[in-house]
Amino acid sequence: MRSNAKAATMNEILLVEDNPDDVELTLRAFRKSNIANQIVVARDGVEALDYLFSTGAHAGRPPTLPQVVLLDLKLPRIDGLHVLERVRAHPRTRLLPIVVLTSSIEEQDLVNTYSRGANSYIRKPVDFQEFVDAVRQLGLYWLLLNQPPPPPMPT
Amino acid sequence: MIEPGRRHLHIAVHVIAIAGLLLVALTGRIAYRTARAFPEYALWVAHEYEGGAEGDAAVRERAGRVDGAVRRVGWFLTITVGLSLALLVTSHVMLVREISRREHIERALNDANRELESFSYSVSHDLRAPLRSIDGFSQALVEDVGPQLPPDAVSHLDRIRHATRRMGLLIDELMALSKVARVEMKRERIDLSDVAEQVVAELRRQQPAREIDITIAPGLQATADAPLVRLALQNLIENAWKFSSRRDGSTIEVGQMRDANGAPAFFVRDNGAGFDPDYAHKLFGPFQRLHSVAEFPGTGIGLATVQRIVHRHGGRVWAEGRMNSGATFYFTLG
Repeated sequence: MRSNAKAATMNEILLVEDNPDDVELTLRAFRKSNIANQIVVARDGVEALDYLFSTGAHAGRPPTLPQVVLLDLKLPRIDGLHVLERVRAHPRTRLLPIVVLTSSIEEQDLVNTYSRGANSYIRKPVDFQEFVDAVRQLGLYWLLLNQPPPPPMPT
Repeated sequence: MIEPGRRHLHIAVHVIAIAGLLLVALTGRIAYRTARAFPEYALWVAHEYEGGAEGDAAVRERAGRVDGAVRRVGWFLTITVGLSLALLVTSHVMLVREISRREHIERALNDANRELESFSYSVSHDLRAPLRSIDGFSQALVEDVGPQLPPDAVSHLDRIRHATRRMGLLIDELMALSKVARVEMKRERIDLSDVAEQVVAELRRQQPAREIDITIAPGLQATADAPLVRLALQNLIENAWKFSSRRDGSTIEVGQMRDANGAPAFFVRDNGAGFDPDYAHKLFGPFQRLHSVAEFPGTGIGLATVQRIVHRHGGRVWAEGRMNSGATFYFTLG
């Protein structure tokens, strides 16, 4: 039971981002910050949920969870807020650390994401150097410093 | 705008008035009909009160007159009441039409506001994404192949990055300006002297080496929206701080005076670069600047923000100044 549970968390990062440029720049920022964790990219909310719940295109994937999810808000098909709701509503994923990484600092977005249980909210800066700094700190914090929630019991 | 409570009261008054008038009209009509249906009643009146026998020609004549009078009263009542009734109904219909017209306008306004919200949202969200790509990949080029590039090319990439960051800043400031127009206002009693002290303390914390003499009159009171007025004062004081930075012995004064009409006005005065009064009308336009960015950095959104805040309070903002002799910005808060 215990060893099963331990295997349930891998040190990977799920990046939910539809803009290919932003994906490329985020991956570059991780590389420049020497963060070597595996990064899985989901291009929209449906892909992200399929990955997390092992459904659809990811049916049959072992039920592991990433260490942290970097979630954009404006996404095709299912948007970030709905992904957040679905993740928080499911017992297996409700404690999963979710960092919203988006362009907007509109108050409505801040309120909506925090009230739906996001763990953090980071605005992507225009300045790439600032973005690299943000990604480095984010990696340090969520991958090293932060103690992750205990992995869910296998159902 | 007609509030729902008032609107219901209006309608209730109309309904009661109409019901009352209807009753009076019916009474009048009944009186008339009675007079017509019972001519012997008129005869009886004449007979009873004026004496004489029924066959008496004089009594019959008087009875006819009484009958006519009753008829006239009946008609009079019917017509007057009918007219009032028509008037009431008309005004009632007009009120209902006015309400629905206003509701229509409110709906259109709400729609426009929602559209503006979603427009602003999309500006803040989507316009920045391409900038990140331009800046990020320019930086990637410098990092990856910088050493192989001729110095000119590196400098061009620097310019590209500089411009994208400035565009990012402009978008942010434009968003902040549009937010000032949209945010809900709550008036409360505020101490402007306190707010000014806080703004100055923050500036001194950011630039502790700056030597500047700042005087803030104590007890400046206003009834206004605290966050908005703070933002306005912050913009004015930061401007004074910035535009007086290129001279020795710079001073800033925050105080209160009376405008031409004797109404209280607040002011922020500095002895800095001032401005050419010929272009004073341009001061408050968004992205309008009377100094070059090289001389004094900025985007030209600060005074536009101040003006919007002051106008939202129903106040007035104006400026006095001369080239190289400082500037004073005055404002009232309605």
